Amino acid sequence: MVTVFLFTGLVSGVASAKPIAALLFPLSGPFSAMGTDMRKGSELALEEINAQGGVLGQKAEVVMGDDEFQAPVAIRKYKEMVDGQGIKAIGGTLSGGISVAVNEWACKNKVLYMSFCHTSIPLGKEQCGYGFVSGMIPYQTGVATAKYAFQNLGKSWMIVTQDYRFGHDELSAWLTISEKMGGKFLGNIYSPLGQVDYSAHIPKIVATNPEILVINVYGQSMDAIIKQLGEAGLTDKKMKFVIPKSHLFTIKTSGAFYTENFYGGHTFYWTLQDKFPKAKKFVEAYMKKHGEPPSQDSDGGYVGTRALLEAMNVAKTTTDVDKLIKTLKGFKMDYNKGPEEFRACDHIRTTSVVIVRGIGAKASGMNYGQVVAEIPWQDTLESCENNKNDVPYGKVKLPGK
Amino acid sequence: MEIPATLIINQILFGLALGAVYILMACGLTIIFGLLDVVNFAHGTFYMLGAFAAFVTVSLFGNFWIGLASAIFLVGLIGWVTETFLIKPLYGKDPLYPLMLTFGFSLAATDLMRGIFGTVGRIVPLPQYFIGSLMWEGIFIPKFRIFIIFLTLGVLIFLWYFFKKTNLGMIIRAATRDSLMVRTLGIDVPRIWTFGFALGVGLAGLAGAVNSTIQSALPDMGVEITIECFVVVVIGGLGSLGGAILGGLIIGQVISFVSLLASDWSNVAIFITMLLILLVRTRGLFGEAGRL
Repeated sequence: MVTVFLFTGLVSGVASAKPIAALLFPLSGPFSAMGTDMRKGSELALEEINAQGGVLGQKAEVVMGDDEFQAPVAIRKYKEMVDGQGIKAIGGTLSGGISVAVNEWACKNKVLYMSFCHTSIPLGKEQCGYGFVSGMIPYQTGVATAKYAFQNLGKSWMIVTQDYRFGHDELSAWLTISEKMGGKFLGNIYSPLGQVDYSAHIPKIVATNPEILVINVYGQSMDAIIKQLGEAGLTDKKMKFVIPKSHLFTIKTSGAFYTENFYGGHTFYWTLQDKFPKAKKFVEAYMKKHGEPPSQDSDGGYVGTRALLEAMNVAKTTTDVDKLIKTLKGFKMDYNKGPEEFRACDHIRTTSVVIVRGIGAKASGMNYGQVVAEIPWQDTLESCENNKNDVPYGKVKLPGK
Repeated sequence: MEIPATLIINQILFGLALGAVYILMACGLTIIFGLLDVVNFAHGTFYMLGAFAAFVTVSLFGNFWIGLASAIFLVGLIGWVTETFLIKPLYGKDPLYPLMLTFGFSLAATDLMRGIFGTVGRIVPLPQYFIGSLMWEGIFIPKFRIFIIFLTLGVLIFLWYFFKKTNLGMIIRAATRDSLMVRTLGIDVPRIWTFGFALGVGLAGLAGAVNSTIQSALPDMGVEITIECFVVVVIGGLGSLGGAILGGLIIGQVISFVSLLASDWSNVAIFITMLLILLVRTRGLFGEAGRL
């Protein structure tokens, strides 16, 4: 593997060839656990590509580093690699807000950007042609989890929303599906990004007493709110907890608090290996390299990196952005979840949402949860026309905004 | 919007528990400032070190109480070494020097902890007997929050007894007012300062250990609470222990009620509160420099 870690002085492997892509992840800050998984997925993809002959006959060198969970830092580091090394393909980031800012920068500078996370860059004015997404659009996990919840868990719901683009998009999806499916919206609590003490919200949640509490926060905030709900003794009562975008790390660290009352949306869960032979291969390779099962962010990093490097081989270029974009439009993949592609019209990966239910204290070994549903992408992704116009979710009036 | 009385009572109780952690932090900061005139920008870093001390000892011994005790003593020891070798040489020089030193210390210690523990949160498990809430007629509060309130109350009683009733405490108080006079009595004042610094950061370590069980231990967890802690101390008045307690109580209630009524304002509400109080009382509620 040939990977250079930006600004850390750490170099693994032989750094002889010129780098062909720059990938950044939030390796510090509130999403660091998830960012670390994303990097691990990218490392595996890079290793596999190099084992198969590399890119254009050479070992691929990819620069990887920490965006410190800050858009200005990410853009500065990308700019250094683009201006200094002549890189024309960048990727990574794990924040709807940061990826929107990076996408805007990439468009202005005519650089190909492969976002690995849940991001709204295929929507409305953000859709500029240079961005691709190996994660999904936030509203997709909102739609998938809301549909599942209203069909199976109850109708009355309350939501804690991280107060930035990702959280807003998930909230829009829940409000829309709620109206369609007869849900009863009982209230929203906005949570500042990075909040780790939710105790002051618990009395309101208990007083409102919804059938479903939607935990629409990510990263350390998600871990903290689950811990504090558990500490208060609420996670094993009647209330159901739905997390539009959950994470394997969160399930693991929440331990017994992540009870059977928890239902989380994931783009990947390792037991998909029972369904897809290629998922089995992916899980085994990841386990061998990193000693743990891959999470959805591992999946986002893996698919994004592998697609980017394979597209370079197909396009026979690492720097001609127009050719790379043309190649990636409609690019077909069968990596770890069956046949998928980057939809030509809006560059979003056509992938399903897996709903994983917690198993609480019964968790052991790699067994942290149970897949209860897989919602196909056709049921969550809006048409090209709707995404272009950012409807219907972009037009929803959010409470208090 | 009609708010039921039980909800108001619950918010007060949760605000009290939130405020209790701020009080632990702010008392430590106040002791250090009152005694040494040092604005300890690394206070949140000692809070973080307390969280990791608890994580390591609980992982090793599997005992929550050992975790709490080790947080105070290990962080106090680190504070003792820091004051002796890094801060002491700066006494008598421009007050900006120790401020910059503690700031630099916080950056270095945070990076060091990142190097050792990584950037993924470490969980300190809560004992089973603290899980769950006490409930009565719609009023409820988690058991662990009750523990935090009583723990802080115990620490405050200890501090009151220590400063008012023990010889060492009275010497410390005297040294904050006139260290030269105390020195002429043959008392080793520099050692008193070292002890005061260790005590102050030990309290921050205790707060970190407490919060590591309901959040996670993370290298950068001290950044935000340092700012919040300074807000508490400024509201109460620099150098005043009573002010630190009142400031902590006020901020706890402000966060609790703003979270209920306008959650998206909870981040800025404490700063607005500080601004309003400083407009009325420029030195804070009990501000009088150099008093414990």
